[in-house]
Amino acid sequence: MNDEKPAIKKLHALSSENRRFTFTLPLRHKIRIGKRSYEVKLKSDEKYGTHILWKNRKYPVEIIRSRQNRYEILFNDISYIFTIETPFSLKRLKVLKQSTGKAETELIKAPMPGKIIDILVREGATVLRGEPLLILEAMKMQNEIHSPVNGHVTRIPAKGGTNVMKDDLLIEIKVE
Amino acid sequence: MKIRRIFIANRGEIAVRIISTARKMNIETVVVRNATEPDALYVSLADIVFDNTEDPADIPVFLNIDRLIDIALETSCDAVHPGYGFLAENAYFAQKCIENNIVFIGPSPDAIYKMGNKTIARELAMKQGIPMAMGSQGNIGNEEEAAAMAKNIGYPVIIKAASGGGGRGMRIVRKPEEMEKMFLIASKEAEKAFNDPSVFIEKYIENPKHIEFQILGDTAGNIVHLGERECSIQRKHQKLLEEAPSSALDDDLRNLMGSMAVRIAAAVGYYSAGTVEFLLDSERNFYFMEMNTRIQVEHPVTEMITGIDLIEQQIRIARGETLAFGQKDVRIQGWSIECRINAEDVQAGFAPDPGKIEKLILPSDSFVRADTGVRSGSSIVSSYDSMIAKLIITGTDRKDAIRKCKLALDRVWIKGVKTTLPFFRMLVRNPKFIDGSFTTAFIEKDLDKYYLNSEYEEMLAAWLATKLFEDENLIGKSPAADNGNNSDMSPWLLNKRINQF
Repeated sequence: MNDEKPAIKKLHALSSENRRFTFTLPLRHKIRIGKRSYEVKLKSDEKYGTHILWKNRKYPVEIIRSRQNRYEILFNDISYIFTIETPFSLKRLKVLKQSTGKAETELIKAPMPGKIIDILVREGATVLRGEPLLILEAMKMQNEIHSPVNGHVTRIPAKGGTNVMKDDLLIEIKVE
Repeated sequence: MKIRRIFIANRGEIAVRIISTARKMNIETVVVRNATEPDALYVSLADIVFDNTEDPADIPVFLNIDRLIDIALETSCDAVHPGYGFLAENAYFAQKCIENNIVFIGPSPDAIYKMGNKTIARELAMKQGIPMAMGSQGNIGNEEEAAAMAKNIGYPVIIKAASGGGGRGMRIVRKPEEMEKMFLIASKEAEKAFNDPSVFIEKYIENPKHIEFQILGDTAGNIVHLGERECSIQRKHQKLLEEAPSSALDDDLRNLMGSMAVRIAAAVGYYSAGTVEFLLDSERNFYFMEMNTRIQVEHPVTEMITGIDLIEQQIRIARGETLAFGQKDVRIQGWSIECRINAEDVQAGFAPDPGKIEKLILPSDSFVRADTGVRSGSSIVSSYDSMIAKLIITGTDRKDAIRKCKLALDRVWIKGVKTTLPFFRMLVRNPKFIDGSFTTAFIEKDLDKYYLNSEYEEMLAAWLATKLFEDENLIGKSPAADNGNNSDMSPWLLNKRINQF
């Protein structure tokens, strides 16, 4: 262990919807709910694979992706994305957020692999929430991808007639 | 007519399903082994396997009529079962089988053709006095014609592919301004999916229930119906959950709709198993939609409440046997619900999530029937559908079936791919599903979240993420301080790491 750094006493897991879960270190295999605390066991065996045992029930878990402090976890067939912050990095994050203001960029990503049939907007165009942006063909179905926000189209990495993978960036919209 | 050996021109769970009934009837089965999934479950269960892994053709063998006929002849099969999808509703395939003295386990090519062409089917239904939504008499040539027709019928209207099915080439148009765009999309989609761009228009019934009747007919002209299935839980016209019977029907309506289903089947001299689909509106008006001339994915719910093995009936009818029971002998008992467990990402708009199924454990309770074409180690490949298993739960009544459904859903264990399980866990707890008042608009309109998770589940996932972070960064095995460069760790590695705990 590094003696020069102060010991980290807590870690915060921030969900993609900004919910915060705080755990004290070293991490215990017990979680407190109300007045009782319950044991969490991380296990792996031939029959079930990796799973968590909690209150006498098994839940399947999987690590889908991890990059630096960002973890995508599949828990009981639902995926969650968390960034793990130390008390120090959490403070820095708050400062950063305040200084950048509120001009957000909405990234429109391919919800499924497919082919771009048509792009219905141009760079610089003003789009309204619900407006169709492009047509993506997947599984022989033509799907309209709609804008989730009101804003301006700033960039269109998608090209008509090309194939895209799931999560490929299609269009960037500056939110108004 | 004797049937000793059946060639199953299909794969997946339906191939497995057909094998199980054939075995019961002492009939041999032949299946095709393909390079895309050489170790599939159905391959290991069949009596005879035709190795097609070296097939150089571009199209999948299940769509290659000449190739399938060759295989059936080469393996000395006296009958072909087409299953569902692929060529199951291809009149030319049925015709080719007959020409080669192979029994086609399904209806006549003529019946397939007439019901497969929605325009002809509509005309037939109209002649028989079956209630129908107002619509175009035939196909619509261009967007101007479509706009004129829609004005006549009144918006909203629905554009449908003449050779369609499964939601492809189907578009709802609510305003005249949308007509041109939607017409082109529907027509393009129809051409891609069915090799036929022709479309027609009919009045769009808002928020109906999807009610379909299972019918069985023999070659002597006897036709019965086995009651209805409700398939209103669908997303973009893809069914997710089906049940039988439907809470929307009483005996009077069941008898009336059932007799209409029998009538339209009789109009094309229908034999074998078939399904007549209706839309039912809130005023109990029903409208003929289409007839499916094949065994359906959701056939098990009907089997569970009638005690009739539909695949067995198909084979018996194909052998020339007459139905051993009449309409009055058909008894409906209990309630059955089918959940389609697919490899789909519910959180990403039900996008297919193909991959290897690392673990698969299906419930073994007596009230659960699990029809599947995969096992632990199988892969869901992107070239085929994303079905993992059909969970068929049967109870004494609807309430009991839903209760058992909840139990069964928690006893399914799948690792390796994302599945529709979280959707069903949410659905069986939804008040509108429980009271039966849902319509085909349910998923799109009445739900704001497509999956169920409790607060604790997210917290436990957060705990796991924190645990991983702690192990990687704070428990000083590796120079973890500098994780900026080599941070893209493979999930495989992490899994291994988890395994060591």
